[in-house]
Amino acid sequence: MNALTSLLSLLIFPAGLTLIVFGMFYEWIDRKLIARFQNRVGPRWFQPFADTVKLLAKEQIIPSVANPFLFFGLPMVAVTGALTAAVYVPLIGFAPVSSFPGDLIVTIYLLSLLTLCIGLAGWNTSSRFSLIGATRALTQLFAYEAPFLLALLGPALAAGSWQISSINDYARNHWFAISQPVGFIVALIGLMGKLELPPFDAPEAETEIVAGALTEYSGRGLAMFKIGKSIELIVGITLVSAFYLGGLHGVLPFLVKTLAVLFLMAILQSLLTRLRIDQTVGMWWRFGSILVLAQILLTILLKGDLL
Amino acid sequence: MNIEQNLQKAEQLLTVWNKEATHPEANRLDVSISAGNLRPAVTALHNAHWGYLSAITGLDLGPASGEMEALYHFCNGAAITTLRIRLPRTHDASLPTIEDIIPPATFFERELHEMLGFKIKGAKSSDRLFIPDDWPEDVYPLRSDFSVEQAKPVEGRHANELPDEGVVGGNTFVVPIGPQHPALKEPGHFEFTVDGEIVTAARMRLGYAHRGIEKAAESRNWIQNLYLFERICGICSHTHSLAYSLGVEQLAKVEVTARAQAIRELVAGLERIHSHLLWLGVAAHEAGFDTLFMYSWRDRETVMNLLEQITGNRVNYSANVLGGVKCDIGLEQATAVKDGLNYLETRIRHYLEVVTTDTMFLNRTRGVGTISYVEAEEFGLLGPTARASGLVRDVRVEAPYGAYKHFPISAVTETNGDLEARCVVRLNELLVSCFAIRTILDNLPEGPLTVKMPRKIPAGETISRVEAPRGELFYYIKSSGGENPARVHIRTPSLCNWVSVLEKAVGRQLADAPMLIAGMDPCFSCNDRMITTVDQNGSRQSWSWKELRAYGIEYYKK
Repeated sequence: MNALTSLLSLLIFPAGLTLIVFGMFYEWIDRKLIARFQNRVGPRWFQPFADTVKLLAKEQIIPSVANPFLFFGLPMVAVTGALTAAVYVPLIGFAPVSSFPGDLIVTIYLLSLLTLCIGLAGWNTSSRFSLIGATRALTQLFAYEAPFLLALLGPALAAGSWQISSINDYARNHWFAISQPVGFIVALIGLMGKLELPPFDAPEAETEIVAGALTEYSGRGLAMFKIGKSIELIVGITLVSAFYLGGLHGVLPFLVKTLAVLFLMAILQSLLTRLRIDQTVGMWWRFGSILVLAQILLTILLKGDLL
Repeated sequence: MNIEQNLQKAEQLLTVWNKEATHPEANRLDVSISAGNLRPAVTALHNAHWGYLSAITGLDLGPASGEMEALYHFCNGAAITTLRIRLPRTHDASLPTIEDIIPPATFFERELHEMLGFKIKGAKSSDRLFIPDDWPEDVYPLRSDFSVEQAKPVEGRHANELPDEGVVGGNTFVVPIGPQHPALKEPGHFEFTVDGEIVTAARMRLGYAHRGIEKAAESRNWIQNLYLFERICGICSHTHSLAYSLGVEQLAKVEVTARAQAIRELVAGLERIHSHLLWLGVAAHEAGFDTLFMYSWRDRETVMNLLEQITGNRVNYSANVLGGVKCDIGLEQATAVKDGLNYLETRIRHYLEVVTTDTMFLNRTRGVGTISYVEAEEFGLLGPTARASGLVRDVRVEAPYGAYKHFPISAVTETNGDLEARCVVRLNELLVSCFAIRTILDNLPEGPLTVKMPRKIPAGETISRVEAPRGELFYYIKSSGGENPARVHIRTPSLCNWVSVLEKAVGRQLADAPMLIAGMDPCFSCNDRMITTVDQNGSRQSWSWKELRAYGIEYYKK
């Protein structure tokens, strides 16, 4: 019985299927918001679903030079990674399905798995556009990964725990977005980097390298990567809003807070011009890391004082 | 210096090599020289900074005369000096290259070679630029005895022989951009050799959608050609038909009424607004700033609607007819245009603020692709690209034509020469255009719209230059007194500006390459207009216009 509940919670609700639907719905909201900001009509609500169904039904073309095992395997690993990460975060305001001390680190690494898979996929298909896209995706990973991790460590240090669920509970009475504003901004922008959203979309800058690492992907493989991305979108937003916006407890606070973060991200996406890869790396290491380090130092000092 | 002094100076410079000099028109000097003296003569003009090489026209005088001519046109303000070289019409008609003296000449020389079969001695590149790689040797489409049957593709060759596939060695490999690529919605091909992210070499190729317009013009009458040339480019269709009409009117010695001239300038001004706003959107998109792209294209709809209201068409307005214009500006149109301009001016000011203050956008434009004044002159740049480097190349100012004599405009320049400066120049130009349009509307001269044009145009040759949104548009028109032109040669501004991309992309990041391409506002339809080749079901073949027409009729019957 117990095993059945866990399986259900993994595959259907709140992780699994529900998560995929939610992810696509959030993707639609993101696209629609940007469209409205840009004075366009934007897609209808079922567009991401229709896109996915269409892609899943389409033929998958394997480049002759690609290793077929990797070519089929990587999208699956990417989706699996993202889905597994979802298990540890308070999705839809419910307590995480699974939880153990230190799951924060595991989650962050599982979230990077998608980028790694995209990088490998780009290298594997060995098209010139994919190669450059893969290089850029991995270069960028090294730029935002550390600041993003540090930004999430701020609340963790304050809460004195490395467990997402307990930080979520602690955050109920502490709005870290107010006490650690720098951390919040870095986490938000880091999340945009992780999701390769503008202005960090150099790895898939269509005007230079077509679709970047995924140029050669079609059909199911591409659909899997897209699903992985929309899951990562929702897991990332959940994580950031659980940590910085007073925790996620209940469906309504979840919707309000995550949508607020999505709204902020949509504004940033429509306002900012794409950064060149050297500018991205420069920005993260020159400003992002240093600011967030200062923030953490401050947190540690203040916490020491309080104790 | 006025035109006469300029021409006198040119004549003095060229006296040594001058075989015969004539003044076909008040602003033109025509100097015959021999092929051997070409290089010293060009060097003399170049060293004396006498204008710039505007175009090289090739003429086939026909099998009867057995001769060909190459005309090197230098423009200095309104004055034009033409170096005329006559060569026998054989396979060894050869000219020395001048690309080491004047770099952009390489494009003109390659056109001369590929289209008419002049051999260019000493040219660095023997790649084909316009005609396909499987085009047979020694068949030249612009020769007067060319027939489509000669152009059977050579067995075993591809239309597009690209030095192929990837890795050149180490970390270096070739990134192809185009002919099908999201960055270029038009068929050009660029090869950027990159080492990591840095571009180490750049190459280009044109001619993927040649339409054979120059050749087609020779078999159409003067009036049909107006509509043909209008279709060279959808963005600057008015300037093409304007340049052609002005040229034909010069040949026929017909003076167009002041009202018609004013309306021509007005439509040209609106066209410039639409073209530059379109460019702004494209540039923003290349930089990855889609919001600016969407907004500028939304506002462009205003000017498109105005053009539709005045001329009845959104794209190929066909406002011009030979001898005048066919649309009048009434009170209703004038009010609509003024209202539209009020809105556009506020928007243009806003965009001006965006491109000069938005930090993220400036990251991609400030200091990128900087071209100094000296380089701009050396590369032979035209239009806004040149003006952004402080080089005043604007036919409307240097050699006012039509209504620009009565409604003069001021040249807009910037000094930085980077992509930011090019944005600023273009947007400021729009404000100037808005002002000019208002002035015209307030002082529209009275009079008829058209004057009578003869059916046959007197024999002669003329040069007509107008300022297209992208720079100087050059038309050489030759009439033999019949109902059809004997030769029309068109040199479009994009062709001159390519050098700026190829030279400036090297050493920069790959991410800047699309911006650099967009920065000169390339127009591929400008470049692709010379041969009759059509892609159909993968098998490439050359079609005559007759076959093409029959196919079109058949196609639409279904």
